[in-house]
Amino acid sequence: MSFSLFNLAFVCGIGLLGIGFYGLMVCRNLIKIVIALQILVKGALLGLVAAGNLNGQVNLGQSMALTVIVADTIVAVMGIALGVQIRRRVGTLDIRELSRLKG
Amino acid sequence: MLLLFLIIVALVFAIQAIRAQHLITSALWLAGVSALCSVLFFLYGAHLVAVIELSVGAGLVTVLFVFAISVAGDDVLEAKPVPPRFLTVGLAVLFILLLGWYVIPGSTASSASVVTNPPLSEVLWQERGLDLIVQIVLIFSGVLGLLGLLAEVKAPLDGSMAREIGARREHDLDALESQILNSQDVVK
Amino acid sequence: MLSVLTLLIIGIPWLGAACIWLAGDRRPKLLHALATSFAVLAAIVTLAVLPFSTSNAVIRIAMGGILGDFTLIPDGLGIFIAAIATVVGSAAVIFAIDYMGQHAHQLARFYALVLFFIGAMAGLALSGSLLFAFFFWEITALCSYALISFHNDNPRAVAGGIKALIMTQIGGVGLLGGALWVYAYFGNYQINTLLTQYHSLPPVVLSVMGFGFLIAAAAKSAQVPFHSWLPDAMEAPTPVTALIHAATMVNAGVYLLARFYPAFESIPGWSIAVMTVGVLSALLAGLMALFADDIKRVLAYSTISQLGYMFYAVGTGSIFASQFHLFSHAIFKALLFLSAGAVITSLDTRDLRKMGGLGKSMPFLRAMFVIGALGLIGLPIANGFFSKELILEGGLESGPLIFYLIMLFSAGVTALYTVRLLYMIFWGEPSGGPKPAHDGLPAMRVSLIVLAFGTLTTWLLAGSFSQMLSNTLPFHHLEAEPTIALVKQICLAPTTWIALGVIALGFIAWSARARFTAFAQAFRPIAEAGFGFEALNRQIVNGVKRSATFVQTSQTGQLNWNVVGILAGLVIVLLVVLRGV
Repeated sequence: MSFSLFNLAFVCGIGLLGIGFYGLMVCRNLIKIVIALQILVKGALLGLVAAGNLNGQVNLGQSMALTVIVADTIVAVMGIALGVQIRRRVGTLDIRELSRLKG
Repeated sequence: MLLLFLIIVALVFAIQAIRAQHLITSALWLAGVSALCSVLFFLYGAHLVAVIELSVGAGLVTVLFVFAISVAGDDVLEAKPVPPRFLTVGLAVLFILLLGWYVIPGSTASSASVVTNPPLSEVLWQERGLDLIVQIVLIFSGVLGLLGLLAEVKAPLDGSMAREIGARREHDLDALESQILNSQDVVK
Repeated sequence: MLSVLTLLIIGIPWLGAACIWLAGDRRPKLLHALATSFAVLAAIVTLAVLPFSTSNAVIRIAMGGILGDFTLIPDGLGIFIAAIATVVGSAAVIFAIDYMGQHAHQLARFYALVLFFIGAMAGLALSGSLLFAFFFWEITALCSYALISFHNDNPRAVAGGIKALIMTQIGGVGLLGGALWVYAYFGNYQINTLLTQYHSLPPVVLSVMGFGFLIAAAAKSAQVPFHSWLPDAMEAPTPVTALIHAATMVNAGVYLLARFYPAFESIPGWSIAVMTVGVLSALLAGLMALFADDIKRVLAYSTISQLGYMFYAVGTGSIFASQFHLFSHAIFKALLFLSAGAVITSLDTRDLRKMGGLGKSMPFLRAMFVIGALGLIGLPIANGFFSKELILEGGLESGPLIFYLIMLFSAGVTALYTVRLLYMIFWGEPSGGPKPAHDGLPAMRVSLIVLAFGTLTTWLLAGSFSQMLSNTLPFHHLEAEPTIALVKQICLAPTTWIALGVIALGFIAWSARARFTAFAQAFRPIAEAGFGFEALNRQIVNGVKRSATFVQTSQTGQLNWNVVGILAGLVIVLLVVLRGV
């Protein structure tokens, strides 16, 4: 398997995906989880751009990546706002404690 | 070579972001990942996305994180992860290997057919026009949600949830205390 | 035209359910009007389609790929059950105007569920595709559960609903398995395919399917050993009991067996098994009815017993007799249940020991009960007489003698417990219980009179009914006979006179009941424990609940574990894909 230009981006993308998922499984702080989500999405973006390059349709890949960036930024913003409010009202950001709250 | 270097550094930064103790360190490593990704985008010909990623990912999102962490406080005590280590690491590695095995062999094939590459503005506004409408709706809903979330409550803060957590913490502390006392008795 | 009307039979009740749900709880009068009009409209449409019954599929919509074709076949069996569902459904809905007026909260939920059920039952009977019959079967089970637990602040009602759900779902699995097997062997789900080509199935597969369907039917129709959910389902509001647990849903089992009879009759041991289930249910349920003290429980056991008669008839091959008895039973049992409901709301109690001597103060209800009882016992001029005698004749001809004798004895037991029921409510000494508040409210009276009229006259339709069945069921090889010939045949057969004699013995046993008290005291605990089956069913229900609690521990609600699950699923998918590639 020759590591040409094309392969490496995919390798990086898949690697970031894996690290992002690992972060989701391991982190207990809400803000850290948002960070892990961001890493996950970066991996996906790399995949999109590399596929566009591979296919020759660079601009299609770009516009899709743009949409994903917008959506992902909004997710990050909402997640952070939620984290701030939860910290204020409940006092903790540990998701284990938060999931024990009922009602 | 540059490519390989960038990729390895990006992966290392990402792992550091997860492993960091302080939240703010984590956010900074994430900014680093964003910057490297934007360089990668540029190297692959996606110039516009590279610039946007740099300003949004490494700029806006990092500023937001820093703001949130300064407001929310920097909890240094990172609790131990719940699922066992072999499970998390094992699954992640397995996932990476399998997905790599699936994707990489097919990624060397060059597309034989002649595909058109229309200019960016045409693709963005005509072919993917619906995407832009979706983006506008998303931004609106995000702003509205944010306003709703950050609105200050006029009435005094309802501390019932905080009280419940406090009570549970006290209960856990008492259990821990009695455990220590018991073990001390055993030692004696 | 016919296709549109047939589709409307299912569509009108479902549309009504949606409208009622949207109308909300605030306007009871509007809800009563909507429910009644939709139910009656559905009944009219069904009766309009009835003369045009055909064995061809009037609707065939390809649902794509693995789902096969959605077909509706309004043949004799199907349209007649749909007619019962809609007509008795209308009677129950009209009755509910006054009955639910007493318990008026959440009226919208009640009517929506009842109408949803009516549509699903009609769909089950009319469906020509096994898969969609299964879907409708499941919808009826869902509505039955929701309506049994309608008063969900009553723990007994909720427990009864869950028990009914678990027991009938065990049967539903059998039906789904049969449907998938048919698809595997024949490539489509159509019932007619199975009925024409069943001999190309390997015998083992056919036997397993036949017995699987028998278990499904026995569970749905509350036959031994799955019968204990029906008496516990009596916590439902009475219109629900009359509709679902007397006239329609419990008949789904009998319908299933009758529909697939040509395919399964050649399986060795199948007919005997069906007959055994029927005979055991008829006898044991009759004996249990003799000792029950709750008015609805007596009627519930009586339903199980009469369904046993229908199973027995299917086992002996008299399909027409079983369907005719289904018809008569639906009407007179609905009449009995609705009258019981009227008595219950009037006295505000269900305990028979608190009633007595109420005939003078409730003459109308007494008359209704007597007419229903005539049908149940099987006395001439009521429709129950003709259908029951047909079953007994067929049983003597084609079944073992011992079964015939047991069924004859059960007829006597039926007479005995019916007389006991009537006596304990309307005759005898007043027991000092509550005074009746009314003798049947207006809406109740309307539905009761309609059903009573039906009980006394529907036997006249026997001839046209048998004509319709023989015309539209090409695989069942039925012969049509005009009504007069049937009546003559029944009245002249010696079995009829023997049966009437046994019934008379039942009456005599009641009047001489003082002599049997010692025997009755000894027998009562056995009867109340349901002959041991109650314990078996309780274990099944508890086992299911325990396994549910065990599986629940996997739902931790914590993000970390959830992501572990997601990732594990992804890994498995990738492995499967890579294996294939």
